[in-house]
Amino acid sequence: MSSACKHAILDMQGVSFSYTGAAPFVKDLGLTVCEGEFIGLLGANGSGKSTILKLGSGILKPAAGSVSLWGKPLRAYANKDRAKLISYLPQTIDISVPFTVAEVVGMGLYPYDVRPSMTVAEALTLVGLEDKRNSYLSDLSGGEQRRVFIAMTLLQGAGLLLLDEPLANLDIRYQVEIVRLLKQLNKERSISVVIALHDINIALQFEKVVLIQPGSILGVGTPEEILTEERIRHAFGVDVKIIRQPGGKAYISYESNFSRPDKEPGTPVAG
Amino acid sequence: MKLKIFFVIVIFFFSFGLSLFWGPSVINPFNLDETSREILLSIRAPRSVVALLMGMALGASGAVLQGILRNPLADPYVLGISSGASLAAALGILAGASVFGAVTVPLFAFAGAIATGAVVGMMGWNRGVIWPERLLLAGVGLSFLFSALLMLIMSISADEGLRRAILWIFGDLSMSDWTRVPYGLVLVAGGLAIPIVRARALNALVLGDEFAHSLGFSPGKERLLLFVSVGFLTAASVSLGGMIGFIGLLVPHIMRFMVGSDNRYLVPVSALSGGALLCFADLISKSILPPMELPAGIVTAIIGAPYFLFLLRRKNVLSL
Repeated sequence: MSSACKHAILDMQGVSFSYTGAAPFVKDLGLTVCEGEFIGLLGANGSGKSTILKLGSGILKPAAGSVSLWGKPLRAYANKDRAKLISYLPQTIDISVPFTVAEVVGMGLYPYDVRPSMTVAEALTLVGLEDKRNSYLSDLSGGEQRRVFIAMTLLQGAGLLLLDEPLANLDIRYQVEIVRLLKQLNKERSISVVIALHDINIALQFEKVVLIQPGSILGVGTPEEILTEERIRHAFGVDVKIIRQPGGKAYISYESNFSRPDKEPGTPVAG
Repeated sequence: MKLKIFFVIVIFFFSFGLSLFWGPSVINPFNLDETSREILLSIRAPRSVVALLMGMALGASGAVLQGILRNPLADPYVLGISSGASLAAALGILAGASVFGAVTVPLFAFAGAIATGAVVGMMGWNRGVIWPERLLLAGVGLSFLFSALLMLIMSISADEGLRRAILWIFGDLSMSDWTRVPYGLVLVAGGLAIPIVRARALNALVLGDEFAHSLGFSPGKERLLLFVSVGFLTAASVSLGGMIGFIGLLVPHIMRFMVGSDNRYLVPVSALSGGALLCFADLISKSILPPMELPAGIVTAIIGAPYFLFLLRRKNVLSL
């Protein structure tokens, strides 16, 4: 996969990891994120999307294999230097804390001893929250809270964003809003983005998709190449039908019988 | 913000000044006779300085602990450190220990606090990092054990030792003298320096370990460092004057209403206001029914709790 890439930002090769020390949860995984890419990391709940992102960001240490950032082993970076290049946003952040929006966004400056040129106000303007500067984080909607943390990563200045389920618990309007914002940042500011998600319909709108089955990668490519009915059945354990419209847009229809149990994700399917 | 911080600093010095010159007898700083000078320098000044140091330690350690445990109900006593210190101090008092003279009991308390902190830290340690939930549960468990042992010892002990031990447990500043100031100063300054220098890491930890990692911190190391600072501050406060409730739990919350949750401001401001409150409470405790003295912990709660409840009602917030 790395051969197809001119400038690999993140390169994970032969990565294995186990939470229990017994059977590996992630086994011999290879994933490369190239400069400027916008990738959807798609998989069922519990398939290992978060684990892959945590391995890629250095939160988890692989039992085997290598993780490189800009060609240098991730572990060789000092914490602050790493934070200037890669930013990971967890799925759950404790937002009950009475921090104001400006205080949270300002945390993006923490890796820096000398302030970079972008200001909190500019970062908030980029995500459309300039009027929420002094609001408490807990007073914002789910979509606005996500945008606050994205503004923080902008201030952090990292060229690669790893976002763990940023669309979870958001209604469709906020999902569209967040994806649109991230795509805009990807195009205008050349920020590479990897988003873990489990909604196949959203993944169908991405340019590149990495499909995960429990612990390993089932395929990498465009949604047309990767999101076939068979692979989705394999990854999610349900029967779906992909409906393509004349304009090229596609969506899925769930075809399983609700009264009949589906297969476990990862179960090989015949035909 | 700057105005609010300035206001807290003014209150801090005002409270200290008031505790020096006000009391059962009023001292005129511009007209000191021999007796007044003696009262001021030998009795009031060391007691006020000890109250300031103790209040600062409690206020700051409460703010830090609520952050690293991500628990608004955490206070310096929840980790069992103070119970361990009290048990050791009470043992020292009841045994009539005087190996190190006037600082024997504070030394017993300090040793008890450090030993308990180490045990709690070890019990909270798993897979190379400190886990907030494990730390909290280990602290609560040890706290109950030590409190039970303390009660057991006190219930089978002689009366005189018992009274002194009880006074110690409820916070006793009447024994304060200059001998306590040097070690208190060193411990409180050292314990305060860590969270002030690492305030950014503490902010990030409040939002979560993964978040802190992403911002360039090592969550495990930062939490350990901050836990050590809390251990020293709690040990310092208990060995200076026993256990005084309310300050460690509620002063950080009151200060959050005032200056917000950014620990770069919250920790120093909690320290200053904790010191000011205890100084003021001690002044009231010795002035209200002279010559009798009330335990300072009762006064801090009677002054502070209604104000806190008033703020809670107005702001409708209780979180970190």
